[in-house]
Amino acid sequence: MSWEKEIQEIEKRKQLALLQGGESAIEQQHLKGRLTVRERITELVDPGSFEEIGLAAGSASRDASGELTNFEPANFLVGFGRVNGRRIVVGGEDFTMKGGSPSTAGLRKSIYAEDLALQFKVPLIRLHEGAGGSVGGSGGKPASLPDPVYAPPRFQSVAKAMATVPVATAALGSVAGLPAGRLVAAHFSVMSKATAQILTAGPAVVARAMGEQKSKEELGGWRVHTKNGTVDNGADDEIACLEEIRKFLSFMPNNIHELAPRLNCEDPIDRKDQILTSIVPRDRRKSFDMRLVINSIVDRTSFFEIGTGYGRSQITGLARLNGQPVGIWANNCKFLAGSMTANGANKARRFMELCDLFRLPIVALVDEPGFMIGSQAEKEATIRYGTAAVLTAAMTTVPWASVMIRRSFGVAQAAHYGPGGFVLAWPSAESGPLPVEGGVAVAFQKDIAAAPDPEARRRELETKFAAKQSPFPRSEAFSVHDLINPAETRFELCRWVDRIVPLLPGLLGSAQFHIRP
Amino acid sequence: MTKVTLETAGSVWKVLINVGDSVDIGTTMFVLEVMKMEVPYEATKKGEVVAIHIEEGDIVEEDQIAVEIKEDES
Repeated sequence: MSWEKEIQEIEKRKQLALLQGGESAIEQQHLKGRLTVRERITELVDPGSFEEIGLAAGSASRDASGELTNFEPANFLVGFGRVNGRRIVVGGEDFTMKGGSPSTAGLRKSIYAEDLALQFKVPLIRLHEGAGGSVGGSGGKPASLPDPVYAPPRFQSVAKAMATVPVATAALGSVAGLPAGRLVAAHFSVMSKATAQILTAGPAVVARAMGEQKSKEELGGWRVHTKNGTVDNGADDEIACLEEIRKFLSFMPNNIHELAPRLNCEDPIDRKDQILTSIVPRDRRKSFDMRLVINSIVDRTSFFEIGTGYGRSQITGLARLNGQPVGIWANNCKFLAGSMTANGANKARRFMELCDLFRLPIVALVDEPGFMIGSQAEKEATIRYGTAAVLTAAMTTVPWASVMIRRSFGVAQAAHYGPGGFVLAWPSAESGPLPVEGGVAVAFQKDIAAAPDPEARRRELETKFAAKQSPFPRSEAFSVHDLINPAETRFELCRWVDRIVPLLPGLLGSAQFHIRP
Repeated sequence: MTKVTLETAGSVWKVLINVGDSVDIGTTMFVLEVMKMEVPYEATKKGEVVAIHIEEGDIVEEDQIAVEIKEDES
């Protein structure tokens, strides 16, 4: 006797599993302008490359004669796929089933995503839309025994994954509770402006506990979470989010034991943009566009900014120099003069940790006036978060190149220079313990007040001390490796890349300290 | 109606427009001083200035509405 009956049932179960929450649930999902998790995975990975794991997990119902009448698949999908030819693990909640709130098998599959990525040492991508646990338990069934007291911490694999492989996540619909926590446990996270909200708890829970009446969008829409750093980036819609993830991964190695792929570069390394010779205004009160500087220096169109919406005084992102992936960190003098705010420092710290973990050399374009000051900055504990960034830089092991573009002041400037870094200065560089204006105002308070024309005396002193902060005395003292023509920055950095790339294999393995959300 | 809100705190250094002025995309409307640097705010829409809520010397806060512009119909 053959196993034909069982084989048929396996096939039937598969067909039922692929129906997800059923036609009307899928239609509802589409009516709300959202893709299903299967469609998302199809959009993300190379055509036909999804290898699903655990399609058979779920719960079956049978009639009195023991015939299969229905099969509800677990509401988390997981499997392997390829992105630009490279193997990855991908997972995501199925919102068409119980709103993505974990079913028993769904929860197991969801936790397994990290295990798989760790076991096979490949990047992990999670596509989130779902709620957390329900007080009623999973599917109304009696709760199983709680975990034994000796069970490993539930989030250990999440933390280990972040220490071992690149993790990229997207919020594509409402993401609340546990999935929200998993969303931010990533090296790169992006949310869909059109369809996503991120909520520690949703409106009903908030209304009950806090008496606050807010919509999902007001509580956790992109306007809130791209500005506070909960996610790194916002993208217009779901497809744009997936594109951002593919772009992010293109700069990443498969894991900490490998290096990120270096591409062929068609952009000449000796390309000189003359605009750089005049981009920094001589008038120190006037700002300039640092993104223009970045885009001019790196391989054409390679700059991928991370964290555009928060900590905006700092610009962080990935790019290529002569095909080699590097981290770029620069000050944005158009926002709070480019000063190190609490948010900006957090953003910079995480970015340095990302680069250190995956052995991406760091290029710092320095225009740092110092820590942000004032009562708001004091309330935000700027000095603590700023100092954390400074100490992070001091402990990094990847090669650094720091280009002093304009200002480099205070304790905060120390965050922009790594151990053994290559330091170049533009003629517009100025550096010292603190900027001339503040320094003169404090040190010569009495002198200025006593002068017949205090304003003239202030200007006289400021001019005198500004000259001392010029890069020429620094270069004479060998405090910088070289003074350069700004137009030659790309050439200098590309030559530096060729010098440091042979050092990178020796750095592979665990970082000194790991990145955390 | 477009409300121009301030991206950061600071002080108002110069106001370069008056109520009733028409502005074009790129017209500098006012300049804040933030951390000793000038931060110009340029119009992003073509239209008429219908209200100005800041004055030179004001200490201003993030998200404060500075100017209101009635967009040209086109």
